[in-house]
Amino acid sequence: MTRVLVTGATSLLGGAVAQALAERGDEVTCLQRHSSGLGLTEVLADIRDAEAVRHAAQGHDAIVHLAALVAPNPRWADAVAINVGGTRHVLDAAQDCGRLLHVSSPSVAFADHASIGARAEAPTYAGRDAYAATKALAEQLVLVPSDVATVVLRPHLVWGPGDTQLVGRIVDRARQGRLVLPDHGRPVVATTFLDDAVSAIIAGLDRTGDDPDAWGRPLVVTGNDPRPLVELVGGILAAAGVSTTLRSIPAPLAGLAGRLIGRLWTGEEPPLTYFAARQLSVAHWYDLAETRRLLRWSPEVTVDVGLDRLADWYRSLAQD
Amino acid sequence: MAVATPLSPTANQLISWGLDPAWSRRVIIDGADGSPVDLHILDTGPGPKGTIVCVHGNPTWAYAWRDLLRELGDDWRVIAIDQVGMGYSERGRPRRLGERITELVTFCETEIVGPIILAAHDWGGPIAVGAAASLNVSALVLCNTAVAKPDDVAVPPLIATARRLVDLSCRRTPAFVAGTARMTAREHRVALNAPYRSAERREAVRDFVADIPVLPTDPSHDALAGAAATFATLDCPILLLWGGNDPVFHDRFLRDLRRRRPDADVERFADAGHLVALDKPIGSIVRAWLEAQPSNAPELEADNPGIGGALSSIDQRRADPTPVYIGPDASLSWAELAHRSEVAALALVADGGLAPGNRVSILIPPSPELLIATAAIWRAGGVPVVADASAGAMALRRLVRAAACSLVIGTPTTLAASIALRLAPGARRAAFAGLPGVIDLRRSTPGIPVPAVMQSASSLAAIVHTSGATGPAKAVRYTHAALVAQRGAMSTLIDLGEGRAFTTSFGPFMLLAPLLGLTCIRPDFPVDDASRLGFDQLAAALGQGRVTTAWLSPASARAIVDTAEGRHAPIDLVMLAGAPITSDLVAGIRKVTGGVVAAPYGMTECLPVTDGIDPERVGTHGGTCVGHAVDGCSVLIEPRRPEDPTAWGDILVSAEWMFESYDQSYVANAEAEVFRDGRRFHVTGDVGYLEAGYLFHLGRRRHVIETESGPVASVAIEQPIAAALTRSVAAVGVGPTGTQIVAVVIEGSGSLRIADEALARKARASTAQRIAAVLVGELPVDRRHRSKIDRSQLADDAGAFLAGR
Repeated sequence: MTRVLVTGATSLLGGAVAQALAERGDEVTCLQRHSSGLGLTEVLADIRDAEAVRHAAQGHDAIVHLAALVAPNPRWADAVAINVGGTRHVLDAAQDCGRLLHVSSPSVAFADHASIGARAEAPTYAGRDAYAATKALAEQLVLVPSDVATVVLRPHLVWGPGDTQLVGRIVDRARQGRLVLPDHGRPVVATTFLDDAVSAIIAGLDRTGDDPDAWGRPLVVTGNDPRPLVELVGGILAAAGVSTTLRSIPAPLAGLAGRLIGRLWTGEEPPLTYFAARQLSVAHWYDLAETRRLLRWSPEVTVDVGLDRLADWYRSLAQD
Repeated sequence: MAVATPLSPTANQLISWGLDPAWSRRVIIDGADGSPVDLHILDTGPGPKGTIVCVHGNPTWAYAWRDLLRELGDDWRVIAIDQVGMGYSERGRPRRLGERITELVTFCETEIVGPIILAAHDWGGPIAVGAAASLNVSALVLCNTAVAKPDDVAVPPLIATARRLVDLSCRRTPAFVAGTARMTAREHRVALNAPYRSAERREAVRDFVADIPVLPTDPSHDALAGAAATFATLDCPILLLWGGNDPVFHDRFLRDLRRRRPDADVERFADAGHLVALDKPIGSIVRAWLEAQPSNAPELEADNPGIGGALSSIDQRRADPTPVYIGPDASLSWAELAHRSEVAALALVADGGLAPGNRVSILIPPSPELLIATAAIWRAGGVPVVADASAGAMALRRLVRAAACSLVIGTPTTLAASIALRLAPGARRAAFAGLPGVIDLRRSTPGIPVPAVMQSASSLAAIVHTSGATGPAKAVRYTHAALVAQRGAMSTLIDLGEGRAFTTSFGPFMLLAPLLGLTCIRPDFPVDDASRLGFDQLAAALGQGRVTTAWLSPASARAIVDTAEGRHAPIDLVMLAGAPITSDLVAGIRKVTGGVVAAPYGMTECLPVTDGIDPERVGTHGGTCVGHAVDGCSVLIEPRRPEDPTAWGDILVSAEWMFESYDQSYVANAEAEVFRDGRRFHVTGDVGYLEAGYLFHLGRRRHVIETESGPVASVAIEQPIAAALTRSVAAVGVGPTGTQIVAVVIEGSGSLRIADEALARKARASTAQRIAAVLVGELPVDRRHRSKIDRSQLADDAGAFLAGR
């Protein structure tokens, strides 16, 4: 039995990981600001509080670090404090446990061009997007060689029933008639169904304990069913029961609009950022061979199966 | 006056030129006159596989062998010497060719133990070959050189000019050195010019040019003649690496070397120049060639001399007034073919100077004259080079120039074009017409006997070009034995009975008529557009004779079905050759002709391979059923990689009627030829599998999609989707090999776009293969057959589309 501290369990993925670990018999403690409502042992604390993090980690064998500020246009100071400072605190606390699973993102290597069958590249993003930039810095911290057995995973576009980030935003915008895709959504994108992301993180956690080959290098996690963006968006909207005609703008125009909005917009949720526009304009799919081999893990949920489950979930919501 | 202290290149210079400073060293040998000579060499040091000695020409230096030094230096000891007075070697007194040969022999005897591989370029060629007579040489590699001035060549103009103004051009000014350095990429110029910066350092450049023997009275004439004699008898494998774009040693010098050593392997690069060793990655080619020596080819059956070759059926029927060819404009009887080909052969020999083994380019569209010209060349012992005009002017130019023909036979139009395009520089021209300066092949010359050249079975009978629809067109060499064997193989497929005729949409197939002893009826359509052979044209052809067999391309078969409008055109056997053959096309053509429809498999390199029986048969892994291998032809399936879990793989074929080799492309031969169980097999470049004795064809090897979970044949994905949607479909791989995703493109008008949801669902539902994207758009087809989908182009287009921007 492993004693695991999970940070950020109020998120969809964090909660699902904590629950799955508990179900398989691990002793799980969750650390976040507000209660996750999972019925597991909890430490209510802010990741920015180094002392609280270290205290919470005491007596654990491993940390799964998911806590992060994921917002389209956060204040830089907040993003740095939570994503970089928080990771620093977790890393310090992990010195005692000896094992760390760090959840990163492929956006840390985003370089404005398409990723086609790409392998995990160095976390060198240095653009204007606060999330990608601070997650890149955090990953750089974690990848510094140390005594901690560290596995770094970059799940790409995690979605599933209950998701408010990706699925929720798409559905909301479509309902408001504000959903526009660059170039009719033609780029191919690999996404990760929630269950696959959870199983990858659990596999990664196990590898921190038994396979030094998997340590200290970023591994991209996605499903193995990349699709054109328009099919994914269309499928999600169909599952949510939203009927709408998808509008399109030329990709270069989307990038330009993103830049202008980035300069002028002051609110928290801008309609578009340059980073988002580019993410939606070019392909993102990856070579999973190394991830499969080192994690001893394979994605299992195809897009069609995932969409069926999403549709079931929306139907169950409607019945309640 | 010799320069007192020989100059050496500095380490920094060598590094900046891409050479290892450790290779540069000096050696003192005894000169031809007994006095010591201080040589500079580049020497990679001991290597396990042997020693290669490289001899440069004028006015270059050891740097010219940079690629060989860098590529082979680990496995061989590669020594590139600077000749006396050149590069960084001592500036001694002038030397004659004979002395240079003596000094090369001395160097090798002093420095090297064991057999030597010699490589030489330009005027290094005669030196190396001359030295070979006194050395233990295990292999010889020559680049753009000569051992004699071919009879039909004037002194190379550049050399001629240099000789007339030799002191000005070569010594007093750097014109010759700089002019040579400009023949290759800019990156080499500094290094090529470096040892020749001053007039006194260029004295040997002048002396070298002055020593080139032109007249028998020139001092080095005998030494060059000795080199030529050695070349003819040297008992070792020879590789000729040739830049086809060399104003000095142009293709006629290559022809001369080939004539002296028909056994030499040749790799000719149409786009490389005089300094081919710097223009092309010759290191990797020389490595592959050396590692294949001594040839792993087992001795195949012994030569069978004295057969009449492809001519036998013509001569057997020389009194036969029945037609061998019936065309829309003119017909030809067997008797006329025999007679007129004798007249033409006589003109080729008497007026054209055609000698046995000479190549003759035929630029004649399908017509009686095409058959006469081919037979005439065979009679005269020549080798017809059959180029297909529909390949396009530039491809035609490349192919005809590469063949280095001594004669061109054409029509007034094609001869004019051949002059304009400079198709065959230096070749004589002939036509079945009276044109000024052109040999008239209709004019009989009484009193001179008709040449009666007997062809040995292994001699070259023809050079035929591949269509170029599935890759760059290649020149395929056939022997007389292969053509005779091909007749036997064909006889098992089709009815060769008395009075039978065939018709075809393929221009080159018409040449089979005299070989098979059948009448060819040519339908009235432009040969470069098979889709214009429709029902009316076919029916008209059938009215001309007893047509039992038709060879049709899918494009013309489609046109015939589409224009039949319920009418019938009875034919016993229809052979559909070439992809794509769909079941509705087979059914359609069966309905129109009422005959057996076969889809035999074969290619220019080996025709036929299978009988094409039962084209609608369904196989476990999909693909097109092409029938059983014909008697005498072996088919092997080899998995693409041993670890691949597929039951299909590369199709290898072997038959007596298979081609001999590709012309002048050692690399293409090495890739397309393997030996299994003591037999030579042709690697077809196609993939497929055998099931219950039937061969199933799964398309081209380079159209295999390399997914994360293994290779998938595009055809196997396309078939079920095309059947479900009843539309043309192409599957292509997108992304890096080994992690490719599958994109399916459904035929539609306009540029590529994502298919609508219902269509995508239907396409995905018809196959178990995971498909990343279903697109709709125009499918690019090749311009020659208008039927083969250009999947490489489509893969690029779909990849760019799905990458976003």
